[in-house]
Amino acid sequence: MSDTVRPIDQAPSNAETLLQIRDLKMHFPIKEAAGLARTKKVVQAVDGVSFDLKAGASLGLVGESGCGKSTTGRMITRLLTPTSGQILFKGTDIARLKEKDLRPFRRQLQIVFQDPYSSLNPRQTVSNIISTPLRVHNLVKKGKELARVQELLERVGLNPEHHNRYPNEFSGGQRQRIGIARALAVEPEVIIADEPVSALDVSIQAQVMNLLEDLRRDLGIAFVFIAHDLGVVRHFCDTVAVMYLGKIVEQGPREQIYGAPQHPYTQALLSAAPDLGTIRGIPPKERIRLVGDVPSPIDPPSGCRFRTRCWKAEDICATQEPLLEGKPQSTPGHAAACHFAEPKLDLTAATA
Amino acid sequence: MSIGAPDSSVGIEEHPASAEPVRASGVAHGKSPTRIAIDRLRKDKVAIVCACIVLFFVLVAVFAPLLAKLEGGDISTFNVKLVDEFGFPTIGFTSDHWFGVEPRTGRDLFARWVYGARPSLIVASVATLFGTTVGVVMGLLAGFLGGWVDRVISWVIDFVLSLPYLLFAIAMVPIVESWRGGAFTLSPEEQASTRFYVLIFVLSFFGWAGLARVIRGEVLSLREREFVLAAKAIGVSTQRILFKELLPNLVAPIVISASLALPAYVTAEAGLSFLGVGLIEPVPSWGQTIATATNWFKADPMYLWLPVIAITILVLALALLGDAIRDAFDPKTRR
Repeated sequence: MSDTVRPIDQAPSNAETLLQIRDLKMHFPIKEAAGLARTKKVVQAVDGVSFDLKAGASLGLVGESGCGKSTTGRMITRLLTPTSGQILFKGTDIARLKEKDLRPFRRQLQIVFQDPYSSLNPRQTVSNIISTPLRVHNLVKKGKELARVQELLERVGLNPEHHNRYPNEFSGGQRQRIGIARALAVEPEVIIADEPVSALDVSIQAQVMNLLEDLRRDLGIAFVFIAHDLGVVRHFCDTVAVMYLGKIVEQGPREQIYGAPQHPYTQALLSAAPDLGTIRGIPPKERIRLVGDVPSPIDPPSGCRFRTRCWKAEDICATQEPLLEGKPQSTPGHAAACHFAEPKLDLTAATA
Repeated sequence: MSIGAPDSSVGIEEHPASAEPVRASGVAHGKSPTRIAIDRLRKDKVAIVCACIVLFFVLVAVFAPLLAKLEGGDISTFNVKLVDEFGFPTIGFTSDHWFGVEPRTGRDLFARWVYGARPSLIVASVATLFGTTVGVVMGLLAGFLGGWVDRVISWVIDFVLSLPYLLFAIAMVPIVESWRGGAFTLSPEEQASTRFYVLIFVLSFFGWAGLARVIRGEVLSLREREFVLAAKAIGVSTQRILFKELLPNLVAPIVISASLALPAYVTAEAGLSFLGVGLIEPVPSWGQTIATATNWFKADPMYLWLPVIAITILVLALALLGDAIRDAFDPKTRR
């Protein structure tokens, strides 16, 4: 099955590790009136996430809404300051750096946002939007800005003559390309793509995905690709991390996650994804239906966070939190956080 | 895209990055936002007429001495011969006195009318400028920085808005005069200049809070937009985010507020002068003329009508012009 996946250039295994995320936590304080006293509670949006990203590699971060994917992405770009944990970029911990010391790292880590209608300033021309990073980091000499802007526009597949237009003159896909051009302007080594295609319609999604792939191949940019569309992630990422309620529950090479997922949540997630087989009249072999809602991140369940919805849950799940570790049937680099992890095959329709 | 293995036939080759349709380049582009706004303003007939009227009054105020010289009158000469023993003027509109003379004193009304445009416009524009600047800066800081800065500024805004503006305006004049040594020791010119500055201070002091609150609200919603996050991720400084990224998005509320404030201050200046706490003799002003003219309305209606008409037309023109400017700056309106 894996040979039908168009081979994206795998990151060389000996590549330098660019980004190491260690036990990253983001707890948002909330105030709630309880009787007379005010209780201080926290939303544990992200609670102990760790992963590595090699130069030129691509990591997919998937999970349902509210599981902390975007928060993780925003912490890596330091739009949010993590409550605890480390973000090591080439060995330097940037998790607690002050804005001034963070400056050089801003050039290396860029972010592409989900909503192309809100991520571009409606009052600035495209040329102004793209040249802002050039000016902030003094990347080009005065007078050469326009040439660089046009080069970037061309790189992302837009007409360089349109540099003087305003964002409202472009379609959603074109706007997303402008957002990508802005991220590219500083020549970053890592781009956090925060659901870059979920706001676009499907035909445009493919084009933008192909653009991102081109950039990854030609410029060797490493991606942290945040998405809830499993198909897009499968297409783009070599490694995939599945998040549930602020934690990574399973992590590993694409083939293993999609072909033989071990964590029950990953299995449920994959089996819930719509596929062409169903539309073509081939019923899926088995569809796992999760019952109940995602528990509140203010008061997550004890032990395994997934146990309240898990069909495999036993007493141990409530008392002992499973660690994210390699399992007997894991391929190298795979880890799952489950006491009863076992691979389940044939979840995805391979009939297409 | 399905969950299944991506179809190998859908590859990069079939979808070059530039596959999106390129728009015809015949559409006008390459204009700055100000340029577009001015072009749209030019097409707006109401705006043109109003701009001409405002310009007319500005020119009248600027060239007041010249106009008075042209007519041959001045603001302070008493022409006792031109009023009868009851104080009524004996002449109407003549070639010497284009708008006639003032009852009782016989001072030239045209000169007083053209000079009267000055305090109205100066007080209104200075107060608008000051109030808008302070309001915008306070609103930006409160909205963007949040936390204790927001709490302090919001408290000050609420405090200022809760003060009674008219009482303050009336009470300020004797207080400031007593600081300068009491009303009796001051010359009429000193008194008039004191009142002029007090008027500007009172109007701008009460003018900034409302705008600051509006701007704060706008910034609160704008700062969550992703373009602000993108600017932060690039490393743009807070000052630049405030003034380069956010401020251009606030043009509409600022222009609306300023365009409402300007005519309101013209009226307020006239109103306070009418009540006797604004400008006083020897500085001529429309409000003060209206106050005196109400006593002579039956005998000499033109004495009252001239400043009233001037204020009405100026206020109306300013309000309509502000409306047109706002429409022109807003990329969403298409007229």
